[in-house]
Amino acid sequence: MAPHSCEAATVRVLCPKLLLSGNQPGALQWLIGSPFFPPFTVVSTFRCIHQSPDLDQESDDLRKLLPKGFEVIGGLIVGDSDAEKSALEAVRAARRLRKIISEGGELDDEKIVGASVDAGTGAIHFFISKTEKLAKLEPVASVVYEEDKSGKYLWENGCLLHCELPIKLPFYFPASSPSESKKMFSEAVDAVITQFKEPNVVYIAETLNKASGDVPKPVVLRGKDFGFGADASNINRLPAAEDQVSDIISCSHLCLNSKPAAVVNSAENADKIQISLMLNRSEKSPTSGAPVAEYFPAMEEARLIVVDLNLDVLTYAPKELPLMHAVSNLVIPALVDQLYSLTKIILPHLLMEHPQLRIYHFNPPGVLHPITTIYELNYGETEMKQVDVRKSLHMRLGLPLDRPLLRTANALDLSVNDDSRSNTKKRGSIQLKEVHIGIPSSGVSEGVASVIQGSYEYYHYLQDSFDDSGWGCAYRSLQTIISWFRLQHYTSVSVPSHREIQQTLVEIGDKDPSFVGSREWIGAIELSFVLDKLLGVSCKIMNFRSGSELPEKCRELALHFETQGTPIMIGGGVLAYTLLGVDYDEGSGDCAFLILDPHYTGGEDHKKIVNGGWCGWKKAIDSKGKSFFLHNKFYNLLLPQRPNMV
Amino acid sequence: MEIFLHQTMVKAVVGEEARLTSAEDRLSRSAIPAEVGLVIGKLSSVLDRGFVFDLIPTPSNDAGEPACSVLETRDDKKKPSKSKSQSSESSSLSIDSDWVAEHARQVSRMLLGGVKVVGIYVWASDSAFKNSTMILCQAIKAVSDAIRHLDPALDEALLIHICYSPRRWNCRTCLLNSSITSSSLRPCDFKLGRVLSSLQRFKCNYSFNFRLPIYSKGESSRQTFTEILRQELAVHEKELKSANAMIDGYLVHNDEPCNTEGEHEIELLFPFMKDIRAEATKNVTGILHFGGSIYSYAYLNVKEPVSRAVADIKADITRSLQSRLDIICDEAEQDLNPTDVGDDEEAEILTIPISKSILNSSTKACHLPLPRRVLVPWLAGTHICDYLQPFESLEVVKERCMELMSMEHSSLDTSKISEVETETSLMVAESMWDVITPASSAASCRLEGNVERTSREDGNKGMDNASYASNVPMMVAIFVLLLSVILGFMLYRKD
Repeated sequence: MAPHSCEAATVRVLCPKLLLSGNQPGALQWLIGSPFFPPFTVVSTFRCIHQSPDLDQESDDLRKLLPKGFEVIGGLIVGDSDAEKSALEAVRAARRLRKIISEGGELDDEKIVGASVDAGTGAIHFFISKTEKLAKLEPVASVVYEEDKSGKYLWENGCLLHCELPIKLPFYFPASSPSESKKMFSEAVDAVITQFKEPNVVYIAETLNKASGDVPKPVVLRGKDFGFGADASNINRLPAAEDQVSDIISCSHLCLNSKPAAVVNSAENADKIQISLMLNRSEKSPTSGAPVAEYFPAMEEARLIVVDLNLDVLTYAPKELPLMHAVSNLVIPALVDQLYSLTKIILPHLLMEHPQLRIYHFNPPGVLHPITTIYELNYGETEMKQVDVRKSLHMRLGLPLDRPLLRTANALDLSVNDDSRSNTKKRGSIQLKEVHIGIPSSGVSEGVASVIQGSYEYYHYLQDSFDDSGWGCAYRSLQTIISWFRLQHYTSVSVPSHREIQQTLVEIGDKDPSFVGSREWIGAIELSFVLDKLLGVSCKIMNFRSGSELPEKCRELALHFETQGTPIMIGGGVLAYTLLGVDYDEGSGDCAFLILDPHYTGGEDHKKIVNGGWCGWKKAIDSKGKSFFLHNKFYNLLLPQRPNMV
Repeated sequence: MEIFLHQTMVKAVVGEEARLTSAEDRLSRSAIPAEVGLVIGKLSSVLDRGFVFDLIPTPSNDAGEPACSVLETRDDKKKPSKSKSQSSESSSLSIDSDWVAEHARQVSRMLLGGVKVVGIYVWASDSAFKNSTMILCQAIKAVSDAIRHLDPALDEALLIHICYSPRRWNCRTCLLNSSITSSSLRPCDFKLGRVLSSLQRFKCNYSFNFRLPIYSKGESSRQTFTEILRQELAVHEKELKSANAMIDGYLVHNDEPCNTEGEHEIELLFPFMKDIRAEATKNVTGILHFGGSIYSYAYLNVKEPVSRAVADIKADITRSLQSRLDIICDEAEQDLNPTDVGDDEEAEILTIPISKSILNSSTKACHLPLPRRVLVPWLAGTHICDYLQPFESLEVVKERCMELMSMEHSSLDTSKISEVETETSLMVAESMWDVITPASSAASCRLEGNVERTSREDGNKGMDNASYASNVPMMVAIFVLLLSVILGFMLYRKD
């Protein structure tokens, strides 16, 4: 193919993982970009789950999931050696999807990225499709992978606009003809949408600030200044430039991270702007006179139903975008889309109990931008239907299927008032988290370190003014393990106290009632009972007759940290420890163990803990020739297995 | 009584010098031994200060007797003394508390936001005043009870005594508890100064548009039109209190005084479609559409925080709606009482005014236009207000200002009265299905100025005309529709 196109395109790939589907031939993925980025910039990719020809379900899902400010810019397909032919298939699907999502507002000559993956080699080829009519694709000049600075690129130039809008929508229908209810409800919903663009609507934009300090004053945008009235059907148009100050205020006015010092690389610490919708009852309306009360009878018995529609949208906007533009072109369309999505779910249940729909935003690992989900929480989130919903979302986003990443507890915290939250944090737990971060290296040259995945809390002696010195080390190790499961959102069970642990062991019949309140030791077996009872977590147990056998199992332990990633409890004839990782040099057999010691009796001082060696790498045999694991003692290792759940 | 010391009371009161001096001159020139009247002003708990704008004498009652007279206790109680010279150590005051209270009730309707009836004054000798504490306390209680429904936060009142021998002014504050006794009265500082000229002005155009479901209920709990409206006003007041406000386009954040000159505009912001009235699934017999525009105004002392102005504007809106409904109800009472026709039941049913009608599924569409507000120039560039019924003219306003506010004929010019609210146009619809959404009401045509201005006598007829007139275009439309159907049918038959 001759490079006849004078403007050979460059495809930029920002997301760290492009291929989600494995190498199944025919598997289709959507490539996500943003209208605010240079063309052919791939921010993320979603797997196509409902690969039906009409793509209705797919467009429905994407409309809910993808925040406004991002869009489908192409497709990727796993194909055979004819890369262009496969890519063309992906392009066609992407064009179809774009058409459905934009509801006919899509033009035929939008440029679309097509990519095909060679099922055999795994090589990815990119093409550009210029118009729908041309069956021929253009090759790309180059493909740049920029995943290392992608987060910075997104969040230094852009910000999030968040709008929560709880609506109580009443609607009426004749009691004698319930079949009319759907029509009446749809009309009421349409009336809400008209309201979004009324001149008496006020959009208040303010900085969503977690830290206290100077924040810019809120900006008030008035519906009458938007110029909706002129052409209400086309809100994609830029508002007519008027001599209004609010016209030219850009999003950056409300962004705090504009200072160069701030490091922003994820949606969590991105600049956020809160948009609130209000109705201005002081906007003069020419038709209304002095108050009047008028009664209109129903003629026949009418029924009133009130539907709760709790809208909550998140959109992405470049900071230089005028606020008014961001509201009219991103926030309002997002509200409209979400309103329709909620309506669609509620409609079949209109005359029954309404589904409790809650909206959450997530920033799952590996996905650069936030995503939005609508969960139905009538029966809680562990209900099978909800598990399936999450599983399908995990699949779509290419997330691992064995860990909960889209549970309500994982959701982005966008609450305006953060005071209450930080207070409960202070009261709820005083434990330090992830104390092993920043400790000196193990000293194993050529070693490969395998450590636990995720966060945990450090539980040790004397915490919560409870004197367990001399007997509570295994209890503390168990608390650390349970905190890991909590922080990874596998459970919402609170970390049990010593007494609660003992109570559990009595309940399952392992111990006599006198055990509660005693100072008796527990070991690895008891821990496995408690984990099974409280969390439903199963464990592997490894037995060692002598401490000298431990280094031999280093490879196995490394594998545990790689696949399970849970903290290990070390018990046996001696003191209990928590094992957080191993550093192992296969060549020399040299190894070190990352030990978190529950016997620490001091305060929550990270420096003191690290300097005292209460959390640190322990070589099996230290420089003085002393063994860490005693040769004349037996050891039991408890390896909790990561539950296979989402 | 010591426990009440904790409650904040105004510590000092400043009176508008020009007004109070002229009142004193008027009183001293007149030979009347005693006079009672209302104190108009504002009390600021934030500033610990009271401000008196004007004193308004209570007019003679329906029987033509003055509201206040001096009694010689040793004499026959019913014989009031006629001249100052007769007043002695034993004299005391007789006050028609109910009449003063009625005066307060009517005057408080005419005051804008931030201006209130804050107490009463008496012109009496020192001894008569001292001997009449109980009577005065009763009068204060009657006044505060009469205006409380317009000002629920009312917790203290002023009692100003203008003593003629020796000539001096005395001011006391009175805590309004369930029982007001002489110990509720506490003296406070009183001085004259300039109060009115430094007032800050706040304006608010408030437009609302509610659609209230009228639920199907058992026969026993049937409510009349005005009962439902009263309930709605209570809900509305609550909603209004939590509304956000903007002053001159800026959201009200801090609580600083407003430093800029001129008239300030307040805008009130409400949550988007989060109606607190909406209840779960229920059966409905109809919809009450309640809406319109209120021209609201409030006066603020320069040192008061702007949040006070917002609260005053909100209170003015509530008070204004309440007053209009009161006027409608007063009217209905007056109309019902004289037409005591006895056994002619049918005639009685026909004369039931709309405000008293019961709203249910068999009730036809009906309209109850509330009177509209007009502003009347008052003191030093400030205004008071009045309400005009559709059948009333501005001359009525003038009369009321003279009678109730003791304004002079020469100072009143009907051309200076601003008609800040337009006459209401009524919705043309027969059933609730035409008005359930705001969009559908905008589409349905409104009849402009259909309410005829007629004389007071046939007021109700005027209102009936209104509802009749609103049906005319509908009938024309139906006629045209029928005609076209017949025409179409005939043409079809020809083919």
